[in-house]
Amino acid sequence: MTRFPKPLLAWAITLLALGAVAAAIWAVAPGYATVRAGRADAGYLESGDCRKCHETNYTSWHATFHRTMTQEAGPETILGDFERENSITYQGVRAEMVRENGAHWMKFTGVDGKAQQLEIVRTVGSRRIQQYLTKTGDTWSRLPIAYDLVQRRWIHLNGSFFYPDGTSYTQHVAEWNVNCVFCHNVKAQPGLNWENRTWKTEVAELGIACGACHGPAGEHAQRALSPVTRYRWNLKEQIAPARLVTNPARLDSDRAAVVCGHCHGQRIPEPPQRIRPMMSVGDPYDPGKDLHEFYKPVQREDKVESSEGPHGEKVSFSFATRFWPDGSPRLTAYEYQGMKRSKCFTAGEPGNRITCISCHSMHGGDPRGQLTEKMKTNAACNQCHEQFAKPAQLVEHTKHSAESAGSLCYNCHMPKIVYGIMAAHRTHDITNPRPEDTVRFGKPNACNQCHLDWSANRAIAETRRLWPDAYKESNPGDQRFDEPEGQRSLFAGDAVMRALTAAAMTPATSATGPLLLEAMQDTYPIVRYFAANALAAQRPTLPKPDYLAPAMAREAVLQTWYPLWPAELRQAAREARERLTAQRSETDVEVGE
Amino acid sequence: MPSPSHPSAGLIRQGWISLALWIAFGILIEGFRAFRSPPYLDDAVRREMFRLAHAHGTLLNLVLLGAAICAHLNLIRLGPMTSLGLRSAVVLLPAGFLFGGLWHFKDEPGLAILLVPAGAVLLLATAVYISLTLPRR
Repeated sequence: MTRFPKPLLAWAITLLALGAVAAAIWAVAPGYATVRAGRADAGYLESGDCRKCHETNYTSWHATFHRTMTQEAGPETILGDFERENSITYQGVRAEMVRENGAHWMKFTGVDGKAQQLEIVRTVGSRRIQQYLTKTGDTWSRLPIAYDLVQRRWIHLNGSFFYPDGTSYTQHVAEWNVNCVFCHNVKAQPGLNWENRTWKTEVAELGIACGACHGPAGEHAQRALSPVTRYRWNLKEQIAPARLVTNPARLDSDRAAVVCGHCHGQRIPEPPQRIRPMMSVGDPYDPGKDLHEFYKPVQREDKVESSEGPHGEKVSFSFATRFWPDGSPRLTAYEYQGMKRSKCFTAGEPGNRITCISCHSMHGGDPRGQLTEKMKTNAACNQCHEQFAKPAQLVEHTKHSAESAGSLCYNCHMPKIVYGIMAAHRTHDITNPRPEDTVRFGKPNACNQCHLDWSANRAIAETRRLWPDAYKESNPGDQRFDEPEGQRSLFAGDAVMRALTAAAMTPATSATGPLLLEAMQDTYPIVRYFAANALAAQRPTLPKPDYLAPAMAREAVLQTWYPLWPAELRQAAREARERLTAQRSETDVEVGE
Repeated sequence: MPSPSHPSAGLIRQGWISLALWIAFGILIEGFRAFRSPPYLDDAVRREMFRLAHAHGTLLNLVLLGAAICAHLNLIRLGPMTSLGLRSAVVLLPAGFLFGGLWHFKDEPGLAILLVPAGAVLLLATAVYISLTLPRR
């Protein structure tokens, strides 16, 4: 018998061993290609799957508030205080938040003494406030009590929205399946049975995870199992296999913008009848597609009709109050509409112009706003407007010293005239400051956001003096606009305007303090919220007035604040409030968040 | 001690020199960690690759020294090809990790990582061959 040469035998055994290794790898290889095939969320992977290859991106996403938008309730995810300051009484209803038998509960005791307890099963939000969901049958509902993460206290949601004192305790109890599910999760599928109004709601992943921006990635992950394919992608081979996943950074600017606009640009189905498959099957949009194929971003003039009147009649809902009268959004979640109105967008070349990720980074920077430190500065605008990068040119342009707040592009071109989740936000309708808009549209303007003691008419005159060419057609308003604009808008504006003005007055000063004390008499809790914060920011050692407390309790605390200002100043503020309040018209604003 | 002309002398020289280098590299990455060096700590791929390079570099060179001692004691037979295979493998494997971590793609080692499977196959084949050629007692 011929003996097999040992070197050959060694190689044969080696190859055999390698074959066994390959077989073992193949045997345990995951399959992504057909994940949830035939479902509305076909091909959508969970973030844990993406992490296997994209550790860096997973880590940066994991640090964001997107991730924690919706979570299953548990000790790790619940941020409210269930131990010490764990109750709130509002409108006579006491809510107590307790942890029992490994679960979290909200226990309500009504004015009539009747008690009800509801289990908290999911949480929504983790940055400014955390809201809680309970589940009854197949329906998740938002509970009326939330935890304010900034002030570290429980609040009734009436303190977060634009409704006055006395609004129904359950006004803000909302069905999660029908509304919130779409933007706070990946690829929502409400699963509504229109016949019997039952739900079978599912999402590809709770929270705003990889799929929300990158779409279905099952085929991509399947291809990426091969290291050869991955290296061909990494080497950017022209003829490499298609990646089969959406990367907003590689889309044209307009298509990239709608990835964010899908949620940061509230929308209605287009055509309206699409609502039926949307509710029964699911959200038809996938990142990378044209959002406008399925939706129309809401504008001021839009209305929706439904047959939900008390007798089944058609009722119409207008979105007008979510916008300033000139059509500019005044609530968050309309940033897409704002950006599209701005000259930065309209003057650009379609597909190659400003988009969300021109400034924001989803995988870097401060999770509070998703901006890098650089993009918090004028560097953001200097990407295009490089002519203002040098201090001398900047000062010439702004007429403010280079280091002052008046020379930060954002302050003049993106003032904080938008409300969302208990904070004032910068508008994304990037415009030149126009104090005339206050006169024409009752809209706050950038100049008077800082120069609160100036009248709108003075701001108009100053803009005409400093930039005569740009403002030559800007006209002053009537005598109402001779009033210091901070004072006028704090009392004569509608609730959104008043709240934003109180926010602009933070921290209180010797001049604004008496006005803010008067604003604590406002009938809208959210206005009082900003006023109380402004006062407390100036005097953190004094007891802070509780903006949700009954009027008498608030007044008792305010007694300690009154001696800080001369009586004549307080009297003048009181007279201003009484005089200006008569000028205002109140409109409740349905904040769609 | 094997004489400088003994076949195992080259292995022992390579083993000790490489061991010294990989120990020095280990001290370097410990230093990076101790002094919170961003190019090391902030880079997950580099951290993992360097750790693997250090581990493979030191352990494989101990294997090389062990093989040289075994050869000197006539416990195994190391022909020129076997010796070359072994010596190449203990260089290729850690070098692949080192350079794959030094220059790499975003979440993937650099192309130098291809040295690792090449070195691993060589090491496996050499180990199989040595085991096949063990002197029978």
